[in-house]
Amino acid sequence: MSYFKSLILSGASAIAILGAAPAAQAEGGLRCEPGETYVMNVMVMGHPYWVPVFEGFKQAAEALGCEAVFSGTPDYDITKQIASFEQDLVKSPKGILLHPMQADPFIDPINRAIDSGISVTTFAADSPKSKRTAYITSDNLAEAAFAAEEIVRTVGDSAEYAVLENPGQSNHDLRVTALIAYMEKNYPNMKLVGRQATNQDTNAAFTATSAMLQANPDLAAIWIPEAGSAEGAVAAMKAAGKKLMIIHADITPTTLEEIKAGNIHMALNPNQGIQGFVGFMNTFLGAHPGLIDPFNDYKASGFNPMQIPFVDNGFAVITKDNAESFVLETYMEGRG
Amino acid sequence: MTATTQERSLIARLSGARETGLVLIILALFLIMSVASEHFLTWPNMRAMAMAFSVEAIVVVGMTILLISGGIDLSVGSVTALAMVVAGLLFLAGVNPWVAALIAIALCAGIGAIMGFFVTVVGLHHFIVTLAAMVIARGLCLLGTGGRPLGLYDLPDGFKWIGIGSVGVIPVAIVIFVLVVVVFDFLLRRTTAFRLVYYTGSNEKAAAYSGIRTKRVIFLTTVLCSTLCGVAGVIYMARFGSAQPTFGVGMELNVIAAAVIGGASLSGGKGSILGAILGAVLLSLVSSSLALLNVSVYWQDIIRGSILLAAVTFDHYLVKRQAAGGRA
Repeated sequence: MSYFKSLILSGASAIAILGAAPAAQAEGGLRCEPGETYVMNVMVMGHPYWVPVFEGFKQAAEALGCEAVFSGTPDYDITKQIASFEQDLVKSPKGILLHPMQADPFIDPINRAIDSGISVTTFAADSPKSKRTAYITSDNLAEAAFAAEEIVRTVGDSAEYAVLENPGQSNHDLRVTALIAYMEKNYPNMKLVGRQATNQDTNAAFTATSAMLQANPDLAAIWIPEAGSAEGAVAAMKAAGKKLMIIHADITPTTLEEIKAGNIHMALNPNQGIQGFVGFMNTFLGAHPGLIDPFNDYKASGFNPMQIPFVDNGFAVITKDNAESFVLETYMEGRG
Repeated sequence: MTATTQERSLIARLSGARETGLVLIILALFLIMSVASEHFLTWPNMRAMAMAFSVEAIVVVGMTILLISGGIDLSVGSVTALAMVVAGLLFLAGVNPWVAALIAIALCAGIGAIMGFFVTVVGLHHFIVTLAAMVIARGLCLLGTGGRPLGLYDLPDGFKWIGIGSVGVIPVAIVIFVLVVVVFDFLLRRTTAFRLVYYTGSNEKAAAYSGIRTKRVIFLTTVLCSTLCGVAGVIYMARFGSAQPTFGVGMELNVIAAAVIGGASLSGGKGSILGAILGAVLLSLVSSSLALLNVSVYWQDIIRGSILLAAVTFDHYLVKRQAAGGRA
């Protein structure tokens, strides 16, 4: 089995990015003007997820001679993120790669940005009703299907499984609901015996997993849509002295170590660097619509011709064989 | 005194105790869950439930004493996380983990002292001082880690023992929790020094007029609460083998709720360690039971809130009856 899933780009975006580049370079257009600035705006700025994404964003910016700025709010608060986004607009950057905490509250701010000539691309979470020109994310459905197949491959197709979840965060919700739906459709003998909300809280995950292990002595596998809860789940498994196949999305240093030790079966991690790099490229292209003259009605209708509805940044499969490659500190040291 | 008289006296004391209502509610939930789930009344489940609440309950002890003195601490979650982060960073820098843990606990005590200074010397309210400390401590966690969780998988087994080890069949974390509870319950009930906490919380001015150094009492209870956060943080670090800068968000609400359910008053002067621990047990029991029964996550918060409201109402009714009986 291959432990590294190759990068998947949707056909449209791959053609847009890869195909447009040579022609544009020939015209000298795929390059920033001096001082041309692009911002990456997020919520909970301290979250480690953003670090490799911004590294990818910076690498793309450097390649095109652009300025890259990290922005947002340290809080999990929609009003504060909107305020930070609007402060970014005041500084008139050329484009913003945005992770909107919620979809609809960002419609007006994004549209205002677009109307004032600032390119906006969304990543990892979307605001589909806005005028943003592109959206890049992991395919949560693909992650869930992969996880489901791995569970069945490991524990068989007639076993008990459970999920932990984080209701309200769309990508986490999708990872969970899609896995359950996939199991129901393809493996009807797989029995969902536990479904608990732990909201990324390690201690809550410890409590919930402990209870599920007691209530279901035959529990064979658990799917967790993020890594914080996985830390609690593996601690509960050890405390109970039981064997449980733990598979989760995202990573932390501790879950990496648990994967190396064989206590966590596997983690699925979005290709964050690609997300940042291609996210920048899409934002840049959205800010330079003159690079393309596509065969459609953009001139008559007045929309940005550089529309890329969806890009899948792919995901990596992390097992004890390749876990060493995902140590963030090592990567950051290598980046200088 | 005859044996019968002694028994009556004991029954009268028990029925008059503030905690009796909570004990009855917890027993009722135990009874219901024993019928509802064959796995509930098993040693592994009891152990798992006790492990789930024991460390947070150490913080509940500190919060209860602070509430009795008339204070409150909103920074407990952040300070607990800071203890994990500081001890974790020191360990990764090569410091012996026990020394790192002691330094982290001392730092938490120092944060408590700074908060106590602003409350007692500068004259600010606990609420705003601890709110500021909550934000600053969280910021320090993010600053120290760059927002990334620290992987502490390589902590020596001897240190991890306090988080995941056992003494016989009893987890060490539960032993530590029981020790903390027994010591502070004894101190609060039996020692003159800790009775000053009640006097100060009941009426600070009157206590001051009667010669009690109330500011010192408030200062020390603030320091104690933060110190116990440090202890909890170190045990969490040993249990999970990690230090997360975002750990403990919202912990203050759980901790304050446990203390208040257990009879502590937000205006000071009332409360007991035993009551607060029963409050923590009740909160944990409800959460564990819902998970055990695999209740839909969309219903859990509604059920949890309703059970807690019913429990507190029942307890309130019992206390009123006891008070009426006492006056009769």
